[in-house]
Amino acid sequence: MGTVRMGEIEVSSQAGEELVARGLGSCIGLALIDRRSGVAGMAHIVLPEAPSEADPERGKFADLAVPELISRMEEAGAAVRRLDAVLAGGARMFELGDMDIGARNAAAVKEGLERSGVSVRATDTGGNRGRTMRVTVGEFRVRVKEAGGQITTLFDADGGGQPESGRSAR
Amino acid sequence: MTPRYTELQLDALRELANIASGNAATSLSQMLAREVDLSVPRVLALPLADAVDACGGPDDDITGVVIPLDGDIEGVVLLLISLEGAETLCRLLGVDPQSDIGESALREIGNLLGTSCLNALAAMTGLDLEPRPPHLTTDMLGAIVSSLALTQTAPAELVLVLDSELAVAGEPCSISFVLLPTDGAVSDLLKPLGLAETTA
Repeated sequence: MGTVRMGEIEVSSQAGEELVARGLGSCIGLALIDRRSGVAGMAHIVLPEAPSEADPERGKFADLAVPELISRMEEAGAAVRRLDAVLAGGARMFELGDMDIGARNAAAVKEGLERSGVSVRATDTGGNRGRTMRVTVGEFRVRVKEAGGQITTLFDADGGGQPESGRSAR
Repeated sequence: MTPRYTELQLDALRELANIASGNAATSLSQMLAREVDLSVPRVLALPLADAVDACGGPDDDITGVVIPLDGDIEGVVLLLISLEGAETLCRLLGVDPQSDIGESALREIGNLLGTSCLNALAAMTGLDLEPRPPHLTTDMLGAIVSSLALTQTAPAELVLVLDSELAVAGEPCSISFVLLPTDGAVSDLLKPLGLAETTA
């Protein structure tokens, strides 16, 4: 329950429910939080841009998934101007090929957020390790665990937008 | 477009995977001087998220040896070894799993298994297949499999997973042997067997 698989989008206002994106490699976990209205959402984004073909999966591609997640948050009662965005993932797991899909994913997600006027509060992207990202509705704390590492708090909505741990908020 | 494979094509791929992993099992058995059991391979054509789930828990830590293919077709061979399995392999070879030598031993096992698998595929299909130097990583399973699949496959398409389990008899060690070919590579594997894709 609560697992947001690749290409999926989940939005919840049920306090205590946990949204988790597991095993993020080059994928991006994007958490959006509106503390005031008690809504949190998560997208597990796979690639930067949708192909031109008809009917692509909206949750899979940054250019479609970011606006989709925002509009699902609004439907659940959130206000765009109050949204806090947190990103994790976008690693380059292997030095294979020329494309750094992880970095392109991170850039595309940030661009989409900027276009919609949503502030990025904290990020933990890049590097070459996998990550799992989780947010608990009602607590509005975003925690990230890197492969082989400890769980750290990347963002705490109660903490005035500053991450608790030593991780950088960009 | 999403490629669809016929039952006959999937059977042929399963047979290729069976012979290839059988060859790999023989090599591993000779290297370790132990019996190695081999499961019947699975051939799965799945959307990416399901393909990852089919390989195991997305955030389970696992050791992966990645062998990129060179030559007539593109793709990667991936060995997934449980952390316990990796320690067992090192112990059977008499090296410290935490050391550089342990890492290099695992990479060498990857090389050996990858090469013997490719030799079998090359012999059956007449294709020129060479392994490139292996990458070794211990990380989350989902991160490994999804990131690799994304370097191989166009986004809208199904991921083809050919996998089988090698188990070292009497030891807590199983290795999951996964072949992730590109779509072009699948046709190239099937063509010499007279089963090139006819449906789209």
